[in-house]
Amino acid sequence: MSDAPDLLTQARTAFDRALQRNIKGLGYFASSAPALGACAKDLLIQRGTMNLYHYRPLVDDVYRVPLLLVMATTNRGYIFDMVPGQSLVEYLLNAGFDVFMLDWTAPRADEKTLAMEDYVLDFIPTAIARVQAETGEEDFTLVGYCFGGVLAALWAGLHPDAPMKNLVCFTTPVDFSKMDMFQAWADRRFFDVDRLVDTFGNCPGDYLYTAFDLLRPGGRIAGNIRLADNLWNDDYVRSFRMFDRWTSDILPLPGEYFRQTVKQLLWGNELHAGTMHVGGRRVDLGAITAPFLHVTAEHDHIVPSAASAPLIDMVGSTSKEQVTLKGGHVSLVAGGNAIKRLWPKLVDWLGERSE
Amino acid sequence: MPSMANPPDPGALFRDMLGQWEQMTNQFGGEALKTGEFARVMQGANAAAMQAQGATHQVMDRALAAANMPSRSEVADISARLARIEEAVARIEGIVMAQAGIAPPPRPKPKRTRTAPTKS
Repeated sequence: MSDAPDLLTQARTAFDRALQRNIKGLGYFASSAPALGACAKDLLIQRGTMNLYHYRPLVDDVYRVPLLLVMATTNRGYIFDMVPGQSLVEYLLNAGFDVFMLDWTAPRADEKTLAMEDYVLDFIPTAIARVQAETGEEDFTLVGYCFGGVLAALWAGLHPDAPMKNLVCFTTPVDFSKMDMFQAWADRRFFDVDRLVDTFGNCPGDYLYTAFDLLRPGGRIAGNIRLADNLWNDDYVRSFRMFDRWTSDILPLPGEYFRQTVKQLLWGNELHAGTMHVGGRRVDLGAITAPFLHVTAEHDHIVPSAASAPLIDMVGSTSKEQVTLKGGHVSLVAGGNAIKRLWPKLVDWLGERSE
Repeated sequence: MPSMANPPDPGALFRDMLGQWEQMTNQFGGEALKTGEFARVMQGANAAAMQAQGATHQVMDRALAAANMPSRSEVADISARLARIEEAVARIEGIVMAQAGIAPPPRPKPKRTRTAPTKS
């Protein structure tokens, strides 16, 4: 007799969910993705592909040292500021940090000549100067995500005397020879980067999106089946749409910048070899002396740990820490996993170094 | 053996199978995609697509020039120049407003004296 309620409950749940799937499935296709961006912000600079934002403080007393987030050049910065309760920026603001973000936009046709030099020797220093002017503080903290970390590290390696108080990199590749999939696809026997750039001008976002998507060949199909299975669950659908929008919102890259990335980093592995030059100057990561935190993800399918692991030894700081957290490339910085692991760690680490 | 008190959930079984399929596809598919053969085919297809696109552009440019019409790239260039002009106008507007004293008042700035909470 005791078996009947279990079977009945299970059958009822299955029926309810099937019904909800059908009802909400119609709503899914009829509605747009949720609006993203939880925090109020002011656009300070919009030039070339750079946008510098200043988030409005949420507390009356902030840490002395402002914090500048540098986003990866292929992705939009709203991964750091999705919706209230799921925003790293909001978390940092509530913890008392003065937060700025260097975000990127798609290059226009005439911006195909933007190069690594523009990013490292113009956009980043311009953003830093504005942060200093806005806050009246010389010191600042740089936080780079993925290729944003590469740009931040390149700038820091070229400016060892700058008043950078802290450097934080999230899952930042440095040994590009260990990025197996990208290495295979960019095999110079088959991949003519000059032809691609000369034909398209800028490297198309679709091209990059396909490459990222192929890193997990079963991911998209399985993800869509899971979505259909969970259509009854509003929280799941909301979260899926946020992340799906972000992962498919890949930015094109300026042609010259893409050409340099392929030739200097993917083919030449110059950053790891210590032969990387930007604007004619050699980048020396060993010259970085500011406290350094590098956070990597245990299951990162985009930047494998072998590609990011050498960074900690290459940076010259005496105060440095490498942390590997559970999660993947994206779940490291956003979503439930990040809220539990990365964000508190970041606030703890930065708090005592931002006074 | 599942008892009748805990009957097997076909949904859970399916989800488990899906997870395993995804893992296997990512692993074996990933290995296949890493091969030189795949790279050769993929980049060959890309090269063919680029060649076709380049040829199409040339033909279109000639046809549009014959019809006395601007090409897409020319319209894109004009759009880019307009964007630059708009940016310059916005900068000039900001300066003029500031000089005329009609710029919005600056927001109050927070104090910068926060200290890290002491760990017990």
